[in-house]
Amino acid sequence: MNQRRKDLVQKFAALGSLLVLMIAFSFTSDAFFSVGNGMTVALQVTSIAYLGIGATCVIITGGIDLSVGSILALSGVAAALAVKAGVPVPLAMLLGLLTGAACGLVNGFFIAHLRLPPFIATLGMMLVARGLALQVTGAKAIGGLGDSFAELGNGALWRVVKVGTDGFPDVVFRGIPYPVLVMIVLAILVSIMLNRTTLGRHIYAVGSNAEAARLSGVNVTRVTLFVYVLSGALAGLTGCVLMSRLVTAQPSEGVMYELDAIAASVIGGTSLSGGVGSISGTGIGAFVIGILRNGLNMAGVSSFIQQIIIGLVILLTVWVDRLRNRR
Amino acid sequence: MTPDATPHPERSHQRAGVLSPAIGEAAARACADHPGADGDLLSLRDVTMVFPGVVALDGVGFSLQRGEVHAVCGENGAGKSTLMKVLSGQYRPASGTVTYKGSERRFASSLEAQRAGIAMIHQELNLVPHLSVAENIYLAREPRRWGFVDRARLARDSRRCLDRLGLAVSPDAIVGQLSVAQQQMVEIAKALSLDAEVLIMDEPTSSLTGAETAQLFDVIRELRGAGVGIIYISHRLDELAQIVDRVTVLRDGRYIGTERFADTSIDEIVSRMVGRPLQDMFPPRTSLPCEDSVLSVTGLSRGTRLGPVSFELRRGEILGFAGLMGAGRTEVARAVFGADPVDSGTVRLGGDVLAIRSPIDAIRQGIAYLSEDRKGQGLAVNMSVAENVTMACMRAVSNRFGFISHAAEDAAAQRFIDELGIRTPSSRQLARLLSGGNQQKVVIAKWLFRESRVIFFDEPTRGIDVGAKFAIYQLMDALAAKGIGVVMISSELPEIMGMTDRIAVFHEGRINAVLHTRATSQEEVMHFASGSRQALAVHH
Repeated sequence: MNQRRKDLVQKFAALGSLLVLMIAFSFTSDAFFSVGNGMTVALQVTSIAYLGIGATCVIITGGIDLSVGSILALSGVAAALAVKAGVPVPLAMLLGLLTGAACGLVNGFFIAHLRLPPFIATLGMMLVARGLALQVTGAKAIGGLGDSFAELGNGALWRVVKVGTDGFPDVVFRGIPYPVLVMIVLAILVSIMLNRTTLGRHIYAVGSNAEAARLSGVNVTRVTLFVYVLSGALAGLTGCVLMSRLVTAQPSEGVMYELDAIAASVIGGTSLSGGVGSISGTGIGAFVIGILRNGLNMAGVSSFIQQIIIGLVILLTVWVDRLRNRR
Repeated sequence: MTPDATPHPERSHQRAGVLSPAIGEAAARACADHPGADGDLLSLRDVTMVFPGVVALDGVGFSLQRGEVHAVCGENGAGKSTLMKVLSGQYRPASGTVTYKGSERRFASSLEAQRAGIAMIHQELNLVPHLSVAENIYLAREPRRWGFVDRARLARDSRRCLDRLGLAVSPDAIVGQLSVAQQQMVEIAKALSLDAEVLIMDEPTSSLTGAETAQLFDVIRELRGAGVGIIYISHRLDELAQIVDRVTVLRDGRYIGTERFADTSIDEIVSRMVGRPLQDMFPPRTSLPCEDSVLSVTGLSRGTRLGPVSFELRRGEILGFAGLMGAGRTEVARAVFGADPVDSGTVRLGGDVLAIRSPIDAIRQGIAYLSEDRKGQGLAVNMSVAENVTMACMRAVSNRFGFISHAAEDAAAQRFIDELGIRTPSSRQLARLLSGGNQQKVVIAKWLFRESRVIFFDEPTRGIDVGAKFAIYQLMDALAAKGIGVVMISSELPEIMGMTDRIAVFHEGRINAVLHTRATSQEEVMHFASGSRQALAVHH
């Protein structure tokens, strides 16, 4: 079977399970299959998707990033502290994003230059970033950030509001939430980067055979640095969006999010041994997790049972993937 | 040639216990089970194996007797590896039968075949590098006492296996620290400890020195004497005469024939492999080197193991690097290419001193290096042919913003698929699905696409069939004719003698002599390679 057809089968398999989930949940709850709930799911999925996009790039190079959950907390806190110090909101958010990128740069430095295994380097960063976030805030949430801080996480494009006959505003269309918009734009940009640019090709080459790539003149160090900086920056963005949605900066936010991100990549067909993976797959993976959570919630399934189910889904999809790739 | 199923009467009596009693007994026991021991030990009939898009084996037959060394010859992609994998239980054929010791078998896995006594020694060795020799030999079969590993027995038993092979390696030695030859012997020891009655060896000598090869052949002869059936695959046809009883030739997945080695010749085997009579081994050189040097290296050294090395490479010249394994040939090439750091030394390219700190610098200046380790360092096996071809020169298929033109990429790849005759269904085929020779051509295409001034070919024909070898020689000649400086590193002296203008002979990290190929002999090269400082007294 040629590669393209195999990719298609892979996509359809993941997509198929996504559809099955949606149909199943539309039976368990009438409210599931509605535009409103669709937007809710999309909004809930954004964090996993941002982080998953970063994780996919990292995993394609054969690496792993365990630090994104902590980095997003530190970045959100940094942005909030900046706002408290009087920095305008957009600039503060940019600062949060750069904080994430800086953490990623440190990860990349340890991995590419000091040759630490990615697992260890990012495990260290996971503890350091979380510790920093808790230390600078005294483990307390930062509130009172103002309406403009909430705009990124709660605003929407094409929101239609009519003033009703009773004089109260009436929401006709909720619009497309900004986080969802950002997710779509990011997915398209990174997908183009991976598939159409030399940088993307080099990312695959490094994961497929790092030594062959190096001897072909690929700057392996720079490519490695790039993916960790990207992953860190996306974690920073996730932190800003998440804290904006809550209008509070929580230093304990995002625990275990890195595992959701990795799970989304893996469900989407990214291989942990490197060289294989796609953004579209990761998007599907993120939605599988998001819809499972949402649907199970609406069906009144406890969060403990949800964990069990999601765990089993990961095992099942990867096992099916293995079966398909075996001769 | 006609299919030959005649047993070897003279072999079936050679079951003297030259080797250990254990093997002799195992074979003898097996013989007792099957009175018809003169029949085939292992045979295939009409085996067909189909992979998506390829018929890898098309109705192939094969038979192996006890105490026989049976060579399987064919070009890359002829189906040798597939045949071996069917025999050793890794693949189950679409149709056809495998008969082992008189009964039809369908092995579910290589483990099952191994338990039945069919062991395969792969070209890429299957050892756990961090464990000791003894632990490797008895991996997953450790002798136990009270549920714990019985270390004393482990050492004793493995010592016995090693002694049987005359191997002076400690059972406690860590496998990763042994030479490739020693590791191979450990693999054989492991197979023997399994009481293997059929031993399949895939290119066992491809990374062995002459002395090591001779030692391996002694072992093979002893095993044959003990009644073990040995299937031997090698591209080094000249070796066959020393040990082989019968030869089976495959071409394009089809069975061509089996003959006793004594009744045929290397030339005949080769012509059947390629399907046409073969003229010369080497193409004629079409050009002479220029006077001016393209690459000049002085005082290159690293630590105490390498250098100082100095040499000149002229435009349009093919310079051979000869020497024993570990003499520093690859190390010098990698150092010039920037793949490994050096302590001192100057590299001049066309007169300019280069500061090469990484392969990126070297490639930018027009130096290319084809690694000896194709799969480990040359090819991204999970990427497509096209992606591999353009890997060293993405610039040529992308615009200034770094966007790749897939059309340009496919066109480039297609050009080399045609020019080099790479056998692949399309330029989007994954590199790992190609045969060894075609993979090597893909790696070469990568460097041809990136037009270079100097190219190092490190063992370019290792593990490659005759036809592909000839194509690669022609290519090297064509490159030289274009004025490119070519360095050919090879452990096969005949090809060094056949292709080069001059030969730099390495010994223990230094160049011991630089010889004009036309004014020297293989003996003289070997003489310098083994460390002698004086020219041979008798000069051909």
